[in-house]
Amino acid sequence: MKIRRILTAITGIAQGVIGGASMVLALMLYLNILEVQTVFNVPLELLPLYLLILGMFSLFSVISGLYLIREEQG
Amino acid sequence: MGNEKKHGLVSAIIMGLGGAIGFEIFVLLNYAYFNLSGPSVISALFFCGIINITTMLSYSELSAAIPKVGGEYTYTKVAFGGIISFMAGSLRWLASVFGGALAAVVFVEQLGTLFSILLPSIQDLILANAALLIVGIMVILMVLSIRGVEEASTLIVAAFLAIFIIFLAVSITYTLTPQNIVPEASAGSIAGFFATTAYIFPMFVGMRALVAGAPQIKNPGKNVPRALLVSTVLLTVIYFAVAYVAVGVVDPLEVDAGPLLNVAAERIMGTIGGILFALAGIIASVSSMGTAMTVQSSLLGGMSRDGYLPKVLQKVHKRFGTRYIAIIASSLCVIFFGSSGAVVFLGYAASFGSLLVFALVNLSLIKLRRKMPRLDRPFKSPLYPLTPVVGIVMSVLLLIFPLILRDVNAESAIISSLGLVAIVLVTYYLRMVMREIDFNRLRVAVGGISFGSGVTLIVLAPTIASSSLFVIMVLVGVVSIIAGILNILASARKTIS
Repeated sequence: MKIRRILTAITGIAQGVIGGASMVLALMLYLNILEVQTVFNVPLELLPLYLLILGMFSLFSVISGLYLIREEQG
Repeated sequence: MGNEKKHGLVSAIIMGLGGAIGFEIFVLLNYAYFNLSGPSVISALFFCGIINITTMLSYSELSAAIPKVGGEYTYTKVAFGGIISFMAGSLRWLASVFGGALAAVVFVEQLGTLFSILLPSIQDLILANAALLIVGIMVILMVLSIRGVEEASTLIVAAFLAIFIIFLAVSITYTLTPQNIVPEASAGSIAGFFATTAYIFPMFVGMRALVAGAPQIKNPGKNVPRALLVSTVLLTVIYFAVAYVAVGVVDPLEVDAGPLLNVAAERIMGTIGGILFALAGIIASVSSMGTAMTVQSSLLGGMSRDGYLPKVLQKVHKRFGTRYIAIIASSLCVIFFGSSGAVVFLGYAASFGSLLVFALVNLSLIKLRRKMPRLDRPFKSPLYPLTPVVGIVMSVLLLIFPLILRDVNAESAIISSLGLVAIVLVTYYLRMVMREIDFNRLRVAVGGISFGSGVTLIVLAPTIASSSLFVIMVLVGVVSIIAGILNILASARKTIS
């Protein structure tokens, strides 16, 4: 049971961080901070699609991560 | 007395034209003409008019039988209820958001065109700060919407008609290039023609404003269908004539010349023409953004009232009597998409949303004819069931053809639209089901999504990622899979206990 709790905590934190990072990346892509649109070779026509995918992924990752963290705490 | 029906047939026709004549003609013709189909954009406009009439007949029957505020959302609610009406309302809202965002982009484009004539040194400054300008104009409009400021739509329609008539009258003296006007027959022309029809379709859909305003029209059973038909015919003729002249004076190879209508106006009417059309584009886009905000807040408020969305969206401003939370939420979405500046994507996305709504309206008509055969129908769609079936088939075909053409903008728009539809479905499911069942179900759903996206990431990693990204994608995929399994197992344990 202890291993499962540790795994839950680590996975929850990792997924929360991944979700947050995806959100930051989406924001950087949107505002083209540090020319990331060029770095990742994102065509302007596909930008909304990339943002949508990143946004959805980050949202679900954060929710999933929070569930795991909350379970481990409580 | 506030609900007194006061508009006659002529006012109803102006209402239909006012809803449809807008910024779309200033932007959608460009890509359609220069990139998709060249001169056959003219025949595509005519085809759009015919398709519009088939669905407008369904709208006419439904609006006469159900003369209530809410338009498509109300018809689908009476016919199907539940998920279908929620989807119709959401799609209509999304189409309006994409349309509003496109109007914001057009506003900046036309402002740039105006300054390219008046003060060329400022044009670059405007285009460089397009996103900032969009945010600025949206914030101003948002405040005005919250304060309940109404627009003078009749005046705008009259001004537009006057400008178009002057443009057409002056063009008589201009020699049109014949080879530009006659559509060419080539291998990809059919797909290009349908893709063009799909892309420019938003130029017509605004006519449903007339349906939304049906409760304010005298004898709606007769006047609404008549006004819809008359305004569709008038609109098709106006668009056809304006596009005919514009295509006749601008070569399809002049992609970098600027917006098609503005260039044509400047060539035919000189500098005055350029200024007039740029001003018309600016006024049209601002007016459309204002209308979009009203439509969006009304839809969100309606769906919130029916329990599909959070009640906070119904909150009315104490002083101005407007749904300010719904206006702010919608405006933020418009700003988000508008700031991207992706004109073609927004054009397709607005079109796809409207086409799906059109299909649902036609389905509602068929369903209601069967479900409520004795419903009082002051107007009956002729040639039933041919007209709604043709409407549905055409909507679906127009969704498919841009994809057959492998237009990357269309692909991006359809995937985004499907993604947003998926969010709509999940929202509905959670909103409705969670009323009775605890959050365990949400956890299973999130776990499943997490597991699925993890597997997708690992499967796609070798094909789309470079070596450094490959490792990151696989790691993220593994974490997502483990998280998904843990969430599903935890949820299952709780259910058993």
